[in-house]
Amino acid sequence: MALRLSERQQAILFASALIAAIAGLYGSTLVLQPVPVQASEVHLVRLDVESVGWSIQYAPLTTDNNTAFRLLLEASVKLAFPIGYVWYQIPQGVFVTAINGSVNGEQNRNWLYQVNGVYSNLAADHQALHDGDVVRWIFSAPQEGI
Amino acid sequence: MPGRWRAVLERGLGDTRTRILGVFLIIVAVVGTVLMRSYANIETVFAATLLAGSLLGRWWTILVPLTALAVLQPLEWSTTYAGYGLNAMTGITFFVVSGYVFVGILGRRIRPRVLFRVKSVALLTTISVPVTIAYDLWTAFGEWYFITRPFGVGIVTILEAQVPFTLYHLLSSLIFVPLFGSIFLFLHTYGWPARAPAASSKTPDRE
Repeated sequence: MALRLSERQQAILFASALIAAIAGLYGSTLVLQPVPVQASEVHLVRLDVESVGWSIQYAPLTTDNNTAFRLLLEASVKLAFPIGYVWYQIPQGVFVTAINGSVNGEQNRNWLYQVNGVYSNLAADHQALHDGDVVRWIFSAPQEGI
Repeated sequence: MPGRWRAVLERGLGDTRTRILGVFLIIVAVVGTVLMRSYANIETVFAATLLAGSLLGRWWTILVPLTALAVLQPLEWSTTYAGYGLNAMTGITFFVVSGYVFVGILGRRIRPRVLFRVKSVALLTTISVPVTIAYDLWTAFGEWYFITRPFGVGIVTILEAQVPFTLYHLLSSLIFVPLFGSIFLFLHTYGWPARAPAASSKTPDRE
């Protein structure tokens, strides 16, 4: 004989299953969040910023700012150029929108960054740097005519 | 002729209650998404569209997502995603709009009886899971094709990067579909004092 549940029992069962599913999903999102990069000293890193008609180089001998974003932030303070960025809560990460007056979207270009010649798929504040790394911020246009 | 058009409009938009609920869903879609714009993929357009398709039917299946996106897409392209070329904007908008229209049509195919019952809410919540995943796969393809492919990024990279965003989107669906579904069903059943609660058979003004 099939078990028949009252409306209230069904509601409790459904709410329980839903809460469990939401908790499980939320837990999964926390697990998938990139681990924050612990500050540590790195040596001989270099920052190159390239836009249309200008470029910036910054090469500290040693720094505690061991992410692609914090290195850019350090350079902006030391060399006095402005940067624009947006912090996202979900997922956590920073999105750089402007460097030294070149803003995303101008001339169909956007800021992307590479580390040692390879485009990263991490937010810049989650990209850890190591000794000798070269970070290159490029104000690039798509390769195709978009 | 005007009478004929009026009849078409009446049939497409339904009775007053249906129209009010349709507008309510549009407002929910727009306001909810704007309020949560800092949280990627936490949005209310999906829930509103699914409810419009499954519980209102008629033109609201298409009207709710199209109207909401007519407000939201220009807002996004002029703020968060400012600067993309026209081709990219057009292409991605096509994938987003068609994705939500697909959600509405799928909701219409399911069409649970419009009852303020746990089973109705549970059914809508359950189907929102695979539909959310399908929508995300569709729009991820569009974003790859129009935004990242020109920079030489492969589709596999985009799909890998999509995983956490789809988890957030599923979270959004599991919260908002039962929440607004329950509110909506309550309003549909009890929200009009002049009407008695809907009978257990299909309400006469649904297709």
